[in-house]
Amino acid sequence: MNQTLDFKQNSHLEPALTDPATRTLNADQLIGRWVNTKSDTKGISEICIKHEGDEFLVNVKGANNDQLISWPKAQAKVLANLEEEAGQRAVALAATFNFDFMTAETYLRVNKGVLVIVLFNTFRDDSGRSNYVTREFFYRPR
Amino acid sequence: MKFAQICDLVDSAAAREIDHAGLVGTWLNSNPDTTGIARMSVQEVDGKLTLQTLATGPDALIDWGTAELQVYGSSPTSTTAAGFECRYDFGFAETLLQGMLLKGLMVLAQIHTFKDDSNRIPFFVREYFALEHGRF
Repeated sequence: MNQTLDFKQNSHLEPALTDPATRTLNADQLIGRWVNTKSDTKGISEICIKHEGDEFLVNVKGANNDQLISWPKAQAKVLANLEEEAGQRAVALAATFNFDFMTAETYLRVNKGVLVIVLFNTFRDDSGRSNYVTREFFYRPR
Repeated sequence: MKFAQICDLVDSAAAREIDHAGLVGTWLNSNPDTTGIARMSVQEVDGKLTLQTLATGPDALIDWGTAELQVYGSSPTSTTAAGFECRYDFGFAETLLQGMLLKGLMVLAQIHTFKDDSNRIPFFVREYFALEHGRF
């Protein structure tokens, strides 16, 4: 049965979007513990991604002077990532971390074995801090 | 001051206004064969930024209309725009646009989520845009 699809750009009509295999394509590339490539980062120190059933759970630890700061766990939305460089089709993740004073909207993807996270941080307190965007890179430790 | 990572622990200050002049203008997709957004026009209206988006369609560009931008700096003490975020709700789908300036390029992430019964999977696209400066 043909279905007329609504669209707002040509990629909304990409046939792969209705292929169930696309939902988990190369998802194993994301799973595991990732450590910031910058050893003295003042941002995120490490990320742990787990796949439980149909869910991807993202655990983040932020850098601190002594003990790392555990972020609230976030359930990630799985995204088909159809246009990565060199045709490396794999899933990406979008995860939102909610603190009472801040919200961090993130998307995570793997590019040539490196986990890239981009964070859009919005402060919800009266600290005067600017909302900001940042990007960090992670590798898999042995 | 609460913080989730040590870089967010900064000296308290009055709310900083972010200079968003670097975002204003027409941004062109570097990929002439894109199946996504062809160009974006950022304009300032009454001190706020709006985005008009034109995307590729089967026959002609599709005008998404305008959306208000939320502007982001590059750090908690930043006073210069380094990125933006906005949302479009098309009814059958929602699109989140997240732009980040890197060395003069706008790296635009698009997260598309479908709300209809088409069973289309949500998807992510990352593309590069250059500011049309008209100098050469």
